[in-house]
Amino acid sequence: MSDLSLLVQMGLGALLALSVYLPLRCGQLSLATPGFYAIGGYVAALLSTRWPALAAAGAGGLYPLPALLLEMVLAVGLAVGLALLIGRPVLKLRGIYLAIATIALVEILRVVNLNAGWSGGAVGIFAIPQPFDGPGGYLVCTALLLALCCWFCARLEQTRLGRAMAAIREDELATRCMGVPTAQVALSAFVLSAAIAALTGVVAAHFLNTWNARQGGFDASITTLAFVVFGGSRTWLGPVLGGLVLTALPELLRPVGDLRLIVFGLVILVGPILAPQGLITPERLAALARAFPARAAGGNGVRR
Amino acid sequence: MQFRLRPLPRLLLGLSGLTLALAGCASTGSDKPLDLSQGVPVGAVLALTSNANVYGQDQQLGMQLAERWFKGKVMPIRLRIEDGGGDEQAASQAFNLLIDAGVVALIGPTLSQQAFAADPIAQRRGVPVVAPSNTAEGIPQIGSFISRVSASSAVIAPLSIKAALKRDPSIRRAAVFFAQDDAYSSSEAAIFQSALAAKGLKPVTVQRTQLNDQDFQNQITAALRLKPDLIVISAQAVDGGNLIRQLRELGYKGSIVVGNGMNTPNIYPICQAYCDGILIAQAYSPELDSAINKAFVTLYKEATGGAIPPQLSAQAFTAYQVVAEALTRLNRHTPINGRPLIEVRQELMQELLSGRYDTPLGAIAFTPEGEVVQERFHVAEVQMEPGGRSGRFALLE
Repeated sequence: MSDLSLLVQMGLGALLALSVYLPLRCGQLSLATPGFYAIGGYVAALLSTRWPALAAAGAGGLYPLPALLLEMVLAVGLAVGLALLIGRPVLKLRGIYLAIATIALVEILRVVNLNAGWSGGAVGIFAIPQPFDGPGGYLVCTALLLALCCWFCARLEQTRLGRAMAAIREDELATRCMGVPTAQVALSAFVLSAAIAALTGVVAAHFLNTWNARQGGFDASITTLAFVVFGGSRTWLGPVLGGLVLTALPELLRPVGDLRLIVFGLVILVGPILAPQGLITPERLAALARAFPARAAGGNGVRR
Repeated sequence: MQFRLRPLPRLLLGLSGLTLALAGCASTGSDKPLDLSQGVPVGAVLALTSNANVYGQDQQLGMQLAERWFKGKVMPIRLRIEDGGGDEQAASQAFNLLIDAGVVALIGPTLSQQAFAADPIAQRRGVPVVAPSNTAEGIPQIGSFISRVSASSAVIAPLSIKAALKRDPSIRRAAVFFAQDDAYSSSEAAIFQSALAAKGLKPVTVQRTQLNDQDFQNQITAALRLKPDLIVISAQAVDGGNLIRQLRELGYKGSIVVGNGMNTPNIYPICQAYCDGILIAQAYSPELDSAINKAFVTLYKEATGGAIPPQLSAQAFTAYQVVAEALTRLNRHTPINGRPLIEVRQELMQELLSGRYDTPLGAIAFTPEGEVVQERFHVAEVQMEPGGRSGRFALLE
């Protein structure tokens, strides 16, 4: 069973990595993902613990699935609303300045959550009801979400929006000269990223049984960024792999004992040194496709 | 283009199918018979890495000493200690790992916030948990399998306020400082405030600090302007120690009461001579005069080269003792060898809660809910030696 719950955590890591990847795909280094993740978690935690009618509708002591869906809809709605509101001014910033502004957003949300009465302060919210009776249910739920997001990201590479995003990353000025509304496109990427992070937060809050202001802080910003840097930011497969591997590694290294976090740190260090573009790049995928022509039909987002 | 896309959803569908199958065939493993060939498996989840590792190290030592002390006195136990880190995810993962490995009981996790995440897992899977250091309110209420040997701060914290007022009945103006981003500090600060209110002392100011703050000049100046004659601090060792030093340096002369986070000799090097005179309520006193406590203090001194044991080590020792003694008693009236794990875990929990234990903390027992019932608490005053290098917690009568 521990393997199943590790798989759930890996899936949640991969989802967060996709959320960082989407703005990055558009050339925007946004570290706001943990902020929206925290919003999703708080929506789920508050609705399921403070609204008894919602939990009472469930059978066999389990939290009803429609209520979980309702949480997801509300969380995504709230995150998208906030992303639209702050996205327009914030996305005027470039590169490191955007990163700083989004870190500020994460920090503001954290301080609000620490001080607001409804959030339970530093102790947070606990005894969050369970929609599933074991990690198996969470695994199915996370795998479905991840499959959906992967499908969406893969599909994005073939669409007008996705191509506009790629164009902005390559050269924003040239893209704008071509008549692409760059501000709109960047905002779309930011909003999509917020939606994925909020969805992840909803599942994570139930899975963790508890939610507090430590979830989704600055540390999480850096961890999720590491997923993308490690896996590669040029295809959707990179962040997914980065999220899966880097979430699993500290647990898989448990037999190493006291040295495990040192080994983990070394892996994070050596990864980008050996593969500065990340583990998965379009070039490597193309090489793989040439080596295994039969599987190339899978078309893992290989750009031509 | 259409042709290139089609296999992808199929691949994803296949992956989801695979996870469904994996989820379906997951077995709980708790109907396995218990294997005692290498001793009864007991697990401990302690914060050996992250910021909380200062607590985890103290606990690990306490547990190792208990292992040594009880060898031959109780039935053989195979203790497996896993790192629970400082976050919820790692603690939950370690709980799952040990439960799958077939432990009959769990000791841990180190932080209350981790307990809120990991304890429900043990509860759902029917594994007894003894928390050695969770002081937040609501821990035993997580479920019927959750208990603790660490008294709630709601019981301990008010004692030091009482002692401060007894010593100086003229106290009228209290100020409260707490680390607002720390779960323990903020919940203890709320308890301090209601204890002050119960004595008719509404705090003249409540100042919020951050766990990682080094400089408290702003908060201190704001508080000292209101001329407090009692300052109550709920913080961890490092930030609290610095806060005390700066309070005294900026000229505060009144009484200082601190919470459980500073209940460790680790504060001596931080506030040095300025630590002198601070009041603290304790769940453990090394000066308690009982056979088992003397044995524990001697073991601890041998292991560390003469250091005085802190509360965390004593509580971890106690948690091990509670599990070991309950197991031995259970095995005496219903031998557990070869019995289904799930039954043994259930019976162990009942046995654990019904027993009385003579521990380094004094005599303890449990309420049916799993809350510790401890006979004695202590209020101590820090007395620093000349030069301010080391000191001791001297018990107040």
